[in-house]
Amino acid sequence: MTLNRLPDPEKRLSIRDLSKLYNEFVALDHISLDIEQGEKIVVLGPSGSGKSTFIRCLNRIEPHDSGVLMIDGKIIDQKTDLTELRGRVGMVFQNYNLFPHLTVLENCAVAPRLVRSIPRGQAEDTARRILAQVGIAEQASKYPIQLSGGQQQRVAIARALCMDPEIILFDEPTAALDPEAISGVVLIINDLAAQGITTVCVTHEMGFARRIADRIVFMDKGRVQEITPPEEFFTAPRSARAHAFLNEMIRF
Amino acid sequence: MRRAGLLGVLTAGLVTMFATISAWAEALPSFAANGTLTVCTNPTLPPMTFVNGAEASALAGFDVDLVREIAGVWNLRPDIVQMDFEGMFPSLSAGRCGMVISGVMRQATRERNFDAIPYYESSMVVIARTGTPKISSFSELSGQTVAIETGTSYGRLIDIENTALAAHGKPPIRVQLYPSEDQVIQQVLLGRAHAAMSQDVEVLYRRQQLGGKVTTIFKPDIPDFHDFAIYIRKDAVDKARLEHAVEELRRRGTLTALAHKWNIGDTLEETAPARGAPSRFDVQTFLSALTSRAFFKGAAMTLIMALLSHVTAIAISIPIALALNGRRSLIHPVLSAYVAVFRGAPTLLQLLFIWNALPQFLPVFRESWFTPFLAAWISLSINESAYQVEINRAALRAVDRGQSLAAEALGMKKSHVYWHIVFPQALRIALPPTINDFISLLKTTSLASVISLQELLAVTQIQVARTFQFTEYYSAALVWYLGIVFFFLYVQNRIERRFTWADRDKAAAHDA
Ligand SMILES: Nc1ncnc2c1ncn2[C@@H]1O[C@H](COP(=O)(O)OP(=O)(O)O)[C@@H](O)[C@H]1O
Ligand SMILES: [Mg+2]
Repeated sequence: MTLNRLPDPEKRLSIRDLSKLYNEFVALDHISLDIEQGEKIVVLGPSGSGKSTFIRCLNRIEPHDSGVLMIDGKIIDQKTDLTELRGRVGMVFQNYNLFPHLTVLENCAVAPRLVRSIPRGQAEDTARRILAQVGIAEQASKYPIQLSGGQQQRVAIARALCMDPEIILFDEPTAALDPEAISGVVLIINDLAAQGITTVCVTHEMGFARRIADRIVFMDKGRVQEITPPEEFFTAPRSARAHAFLNEMIRF
Repeated sequence: MRRAGLLGVLTAGLVTMFATISAWAEALPSFAANGTLTVCTNPTLPPMTFVNGAEASALAGFDVDLVREIAGVWNLRPDIVQMDFEGMFPSLSAGRCGMVISGVMRQATRERNFDAIPYYESSMVVIARTGTPKISSFSELSGQTVAIETGTSYGRLIDIENTALAAHGKPPIRVQLYPSEDQVIQQVLLGRAHAAMSQDVEVLYRRQQLGGKVTTIFKPDIPDFHDFAIYIRKDAVDKARLEHAVEELRRRGTLTALAHKWNIGDTLEETAPARGAPSRFDVQTFLSALTSRAFFKGAAMTLIMALLSHVTAIAISIPIALALNGRRSLIHPVLSAYVAVFRGAPTLLQLLFIWNALPQFLPVFRESWFTPFLAAWISLSINESAYQVEINRAALRAVDRGQSLAAEALGMKKSHVYWHIVFPQALRIALPPTINDFISLLKTTSLASVISLQELLAVTQIQVARTFQFTEYYSAALVWYLGIVFFFLYVQNRIERRFTWADRDKAAAHDA
């Protein structure tokens, strides 16, 4: 698959030569990628290869240093309204980062209320509906500390969904989950795709990657090494690095 | 033209003449301002100056009456400011009062910096417990402990004596310093000091009060300790006017009448009737002190001062903590220096600095709007803010960086992130050390008595000086302090219950 040099405004996300530096260190090195609406992208790669940095650039939690990031035909740069951008691009963090001092319901309703000025009652109604959608309606009045890892993960997803995003970024969503909970997350992500929501998901879990990915983006040393459909990636990776990476994963 | 000129000269001449006559008739000293005569006194020296009754405002004594008489001569309104003995001369220098009248002796060394106008003869005495043999010179106190009041000039006298003793190879007189006269005498009663130094008029008063438990063992004749004097800032004209006023009162017989009223005539010493000795702990006195308006007001002052200062300190400390936790910038060293200085300097020193030193540089702080309350509020707020900065910094840092990251990823503004996400979590972490600091501050307010703030401990000391009932009044103060502290510990407990979210078990209990 070859990409045009110019970003494609027809795509949900169109990325060209995106680079990011931490002082001298090149964390992202000319990344180019197009992502369709409702597509499920999984980013794989060894630890420190820049996966987290990459998805953090997509909602500008980390601003990129060069290259073009385009979402729905609009270029994202320092002039972009961050509130608007982050309403469009939600994020679920590796360790969830739920707000411990708020109940599950408040965790979900706080951002719509403050950012979108939605009245409390209405924001909480929406939150209840979405909590039901991810299957934890009965936990609404609990505090995060009272929930299991899988339940907290669902709250984190519900919290992002309450902002009604087009894209959701996941950073290692399964890192701390048992197999049953992982299956739950698979169902939710598939459900999101069915609603037309695009997901970009960083993971270490090969089984999980295989079950959800439309395409695998394999990164190493800040570069995209290959972009391949999962069946092909896991059976016949194109790059030597991916080959080595998969061998390493199987050994453990 | 000429007539107009003549009229002008005439008018000018008349105006000058009237001005001269009225000035001569009133002969007011320069420190009389707006019809008020402001006087500093330390009301812990009965019968000269003390609080006569449970009300802190009920100032009485020879000196207090004298102030009123002098004010009467000049047709001024007397305004008497109470403060610690040590605070009086700095206050006089700072222009916060025009005169010091507080049973202070006329003394050559003090006259180097101030003018002294004597008003009543007195003599210094050495007292000891009744039954102690009389002595005939200071050298007989060699090797003994003598209690004296801080800020008085008795200490210098003993220094001179000690030099002489050392020359003869004898052990020196040991000195213990106490902040008030009642505490000096208490040391003698407790046997901690062999003797104490005071003035004959006070000893007489105490003899009556203590049922003859103390007696004069030595009445030296030292020229430096012959007269009580009024002190003013150096000014030849003011001095002459004040001398004139005192002379006028002497001529009218007012001074003699006051001496009678306060029982300080020479002849009275031997005939003074001894009252019964006070009991060890008088429950009635304790209870009435505990429930008195004076203690209630003192406690209210302590509480208000602590609350106000701490709220101000918190308000100052939050922006500083945020700035210090943020990216390094040019104001970092300034803020760090602020914290270091105000955390390092003793609170008492800061209070004295703001009250006594600041007005020497900035005259606006001499004016009457700059009250002890305001000065204490400012000092304590700044002092506490330095500690609070550290508490807040630690609390803010303890909130996981992921929290603000998650909030920003949801599109929240910086201010929303702080108010709704970071502060509530930091508050839980900061609360216990903050309440701890508050309780400490509550007790630190007692230092403000040195700048004459009438807080709980100042009220207590004034009452002790009047009654000599240490245990009863100290106990009443203790009960008040503990009552306030326990109340705030209870409040802390109530608030912490609202933080159930941080504890799995408690959160579950909250659910049920
Ligand atoms: N804030 C930062 N400052 C400096 N270096 C960073 C920062 N964040 C990440 N890095 C570096 O960038 C590289 C990529 O990090 P990351 O994107 O977290 O990798 P991954 O998620 O693939 O494990 C790592 O070498 C990491 O040390
Ligand atoms: Mg990572």
